[in-house]
Amino acid sequence: MNSIGFWQVISASVTGKSHEKQNIPCQDAQGYKRLSDHQLIFAVADGAGSSKLSDLGANLAVKMALITLEEKITMGVQDADILPWQDYLKAALTAAKTAIEAEAVTQETEIRELATTLILGIATPELVAVAQVGDGAIVVEDKTGNILELTIPTSGEYLNETVFLIAPNAIETAQINLWKGQPKYLAAFSDGLQMLALKMPEGKPHHPFFSPLFKFVESITDETDAKKQLMGFLRSPRVTERTDDDLTLILASFNS
Amino acid sequence: MRLEEAVEFAENPEPRCPCVLLLDTSASMQGVPIEALNDGLMTFRNDLIRDELAKKRVEVAIISFDNQVKIVQDFVTADQFEPPVLTAQGQTFMGTAISQALDLIAARKSEYRNNGITYYRPWVFMITDGEPQGEADRVTEQAARRIQEEELKKQVAFFAVGVEGANLDRLAQIVQRTPLKLKGLDFREMFIWLSASMQTVSHSKIDEQVALPPPGWGTV
Repeated sequence: MNSIGFWQVISASVTGKSHEKQNIPCQDAQGYKRLSDHQLIFAVADGAGSSKLSDLGANLAVKMALITLEEKITMGVQDADILPWQDYLKAALTAAKTAIEAEAVTQETEIRELATTLILGIATPELVAVAQVGDGAIVVEDKTGNILELTIPTSGEYLNETVFLIAPNAIETAQINLWKGQPKYLAAFSDGLQMLALKMPEGKPHHPFFSPLFKFVESITDETDAKKQLMGFLRSPRVTERTDDDLTLILASFNS
Repeated sequence: MRLEEAVEFAENPEPRCPCVLLLDTSASMQGVPIEALNDGLMTFRNDLIRDELAKKRVEVAIISFDNQVKIVQDFVTADQFEPPVLTAQGQTFMGTAISQALDLIAARKSEYRNNGITYYRPWVFMITDGEPQGEADRVTEQAARRIQEEELKKQVAFFAVGVEGANLDRLAQIVQRTPLKLKGLDFREMFIWLSASMQTVSHSKIDEQVALPPPGWGTV
């Protein structure tokens, strides 16, 4: 871990047109934290459209996943190369699921009312470790310009079916991937952007989608202004003509 | 850099939302009922194409059944759909028609898969004013078994609507979902509801259970 540099990050969630029409809140949630210049943790959750409290479920999942990851990483041994990343990710998924189960009891509601997907990851200059339950995806670009997918959307036969964190075997069947490369850029997004960002049904990243966004995050000088620009992009007619779902995007660049 | 201009999107085919209309054109439908049904089909199309996403995503096919089972319209997207003018004659080969509808769906799904097109769970909407007639009982029984099996595997959502004169008890033995009874000949309202439902489905992303607007045109 001798690289000098830091993670530049920007994120945004916007409410989809279909949700605005039906007066449903944005059911996407996201968060990230730089644990050091080198270590970035991030999470994206997409609450089920048909569940009443899924915005709460999504927010809770993101919060618990990040808290748990941070605890595990900061309490772990020093050498990042040998940390049990997969175990940390599974622990974070489990903590998020447990928190949702507890919240369902507090709210005196069915657990399915808090249904959400969950994407989370840890990025360092030497690796990216990710876990995902449900749809959405994580994409990286390495230092040589290769753009590749670390997770792909998980869905059933039909487009409007996916797996949620509350499913009985959600954690056992989660996508977990430890990519030992040198990331230059990273993107995590909810399913609303899937059809624009990925070549479906294979889930391969569409380079002309990611390249400008990666350059954008790399060159951020004013974070407030950059966030405005990213929200403006997600709300632009070119995007909303093609998708009316909630949209969430986290972009990161390792600037050195 | 202006992101709106710089970012290009993947060209994915629109996901499809297949819907088969399985329509009884037996002799008892002659006259006012068949005219009302034809008008209803026109309303269905006009309502669907008002929705930008639905008109590209909803695919309609029509099978009519009397003494013959005919694919009057193979799957087309709503914006390409020209409603046919149906005429009524003969008996009610319902079981044969059901099997043909399920075959048509299976074939369409495999076409979607071969072309990398994502899709929603197909719907069959059967409208009748009678009950199976003129075909062997085992044909109807076989069709009912297939509906049961395919509903269980979530391969299809199969709805039945009875017009005045329909034997709803018999229909209930054939389909899994409770058959609805149309109020009078209000096909117009029914097709507006169907269009609204298909629009909801074609906009949905991750909901396994789409909340459908309540039907005002029928009774259980």
